[in-house]
Amino acid sequence: MEQHSIPSTKVQRAMRFVKTGAQIGGNYIKHYSKKMVDPSTSKDQLHEDNATDVYNALSELKGSALKVAQMLSMEKNILPKQYTNKFQMAQYGAPPLSGPLIVQTFVKAFGKTPQQIFDTFEMKAANAASIGQVHKATLNGKELAVKIQYPGVADSIQSDLKIVKPIAFRLLDMNEKELDKYIKEVESKLLEETDYELEYKRSTEITLACQHIPDLVFTNYYKEFSAKRVLTMDWLSGLHLDDFLKTNPSQAIKNQIGQAMWDFYDMQVHTLKSVHADPHPGNFLMQADGKLGVIDFGCVKEIPADFYLYYFALLIPEVVQDDTTIQKIMLNQQIINNNDSAEEQQIITTAFVKMTNLLRAPFDVDVFDFGNNAYIHQIYALGEELSKIDALKKSKEGRGSQHALYINRTYFGLYSMLNVLQAQVKTGERNWKAPLIQFHLGN
Amino acid sequence: MKTQLIQKYIQYTLDHNSTPQSVYLFAKHLDMVEQDFYNHFASLESLESHIYQNWFEATMEQCSQSEPWNSYSSREKVLSVFYTFIENLKSNRSFVQFLKQRDWKPSLQWPAYLKGLHQSFLSQIQPILSEGIATKEIEERKFIDSKYVEGLWLNFLFVLKFWIDDTSNAFEKTDAAIEKSVNLAMDLMGKSPLDAALDFGKFLFQNK
Repeated sequence: MEQHSIPSTKVQRAMRFVKTGAQIGGNYIKHYSKKMVDPSTSKDQLHEDNATDVYNALSELKGSALKVAQMLSMEKNILPKQYTNKFQMAQYGAPPLSGPLIVQTFVKAFGKTPQQIFDTFEMKAANAASIGQVHKATLNGKELAVKIQYPGVADSIQSDLKIVKPIAFRLLDMNEKELDKYIKEVESKLLEETDYELEYKRSTEITLACQHIPDLVFTNYYKEFSAKRVLTMDWLSGLHLDDFLKTNPSQAIKNQIGQAMWDFYDMQVHTLKSVHADPHPGNFLMQADGKLGVIDFGCVKEIPADFYLYYFALLIPEVVQDDTTIQKIMLNQQIINNNDSAEEQQIITTAFVKMTNLLRAPFDVDVFDFGNNAYIHQIYALGEELSKIDALKKSKEGRGSQHALYINRTYFGLYSMLNVLQAQVKTGERNWKAPLIQFHLGN
Repeated sequence: MKTQLIQKYIQYTLDHNSTPQSVYLFAKHLDMVEQDFYNHFASLESLESHIYQNWFEATMEQCSQSEPWNSYSSREKVLSVFYTFIENLKSNRSFVQFLKQRDWKPSLQWPAYLKGLHQSFLSQIQPILSEGIATKEIEERKFIDSKYVEGLWLNFLFVLKFWIDDTSNAFEKTDAAIEKSVNLAMDLMGKSPLDAALDFGKFLFQNK
């Protein structure tokens, strides 16, 4: 089945879900109008229609290491310029929570109403988060942000994926085991996002480890007012990317913020081996003095040690130049496998190395200008080229480790945001390369 | 005393996995004289019918005294009653399930033991809807608007049944069911495209 694009931003994903929602609505209409004429019409056709559409939406979220090419080859309309702050709400198509439901959620979690807990509590949501909404509250003179999740989100994710699976096997022509590993990865991440207690734990860990990075600001979480579906933190000031750019910040400030963002990811990936895998503009707040606020730790990808050793070695020129090593890496990352003919292996490897070389560019220089649109266009062009390679098109196997799914998405999000920000970032020599060189090339 | 008798009745049912067979046996179990029972309830059926009614009245009391109640719209008041009622019902879930299993047949719209609840529901929800009509939140429609409250009653039964069979964590799905069904009901009562369609239909009918 053909995939034109991977929606990696929440705008995209939201649009996919809106579209899917509309299609499913259409399926029901189709079903019920058929039923009016022929009462024996069973629901099987309906379920299949729905599942196909849901799958079409989900399949674009699926990916593998090579999918990063497609991810980056997305048509111009997915260019980072299109980031907007409206993305979040539509994902589950949920209307805002009613006042009584907010009260009910609090009573269930804490045995008290929000009015009893806080000095003030605004019943009208300040903004929508991906699976909930954010309210402003005050307590002892402090401004707080209270995130409340829609009920039943976790259940709906599980049941959506359940309908999708059997049909997906048929449609994708991929064997069950291959497909399952990607679906499981996506499912587990989606489910983790619904667990605010886990988000609390992870945010405190990452905050603690990254506190020393200059210009990064984290928010303080309140354990006593947090539960599975409620998360309370200090209100962070600042503007989202789009609005921030409208204030015409100087290049120096943009660089400063871009640097903080880059350093933040560098630290997470190479030191913590656990990364905030959802870098989109809604999760960052930018302040006029060049400080970057980080919010929302819902999606955190833990990077397995073995995966790390092979995946990031691809960013080191010395390693990629060595044919034996590169083959070892390609096999480890499941980009090629032993069922491929030698010729196929060769074609895929060459294409993959070419792509990696391009994506690696920021790591090869001391200062990289992400504002360079030519670079971004080059990535798109290469992506398109890759998607036309027959050996890949015909392949029935999933290509790439399931762990790469979120790591690729992380870097794509990061590059995109830095591009929109037009930041010049010091990306040069870091000490993480040495252990990898040592591992792959010895001495 | 009434409340105490109800409490004992529930406890008896849970302990014996069956309701008392007669007033005589129930009174004996409580070490009281049978005729004392009749000072409070005419029969065991009458007692049962008071159970849900009492819970509902307690819920209304609790809601109307909550802080945001007076600032709520009719929609929010109805939502609040539904949520609070179901939340309070939690402590008696086993008993509620027992009753449903005993005689809430699929063919039956609602069993006799909900009679008292039905009356209270109609008399207490109606003022909320009238208030909504007065503030134009709810559309006044001749002959139909008096039936709104019966519509909400069906909605209430749906939610009750849904909750009894709900197995989701912390009954999250029931929350979603309340939110969605009540919003739909209130949307239908409000001004909707239907009114314009009816109006247009009437016009065509009169002018063809």
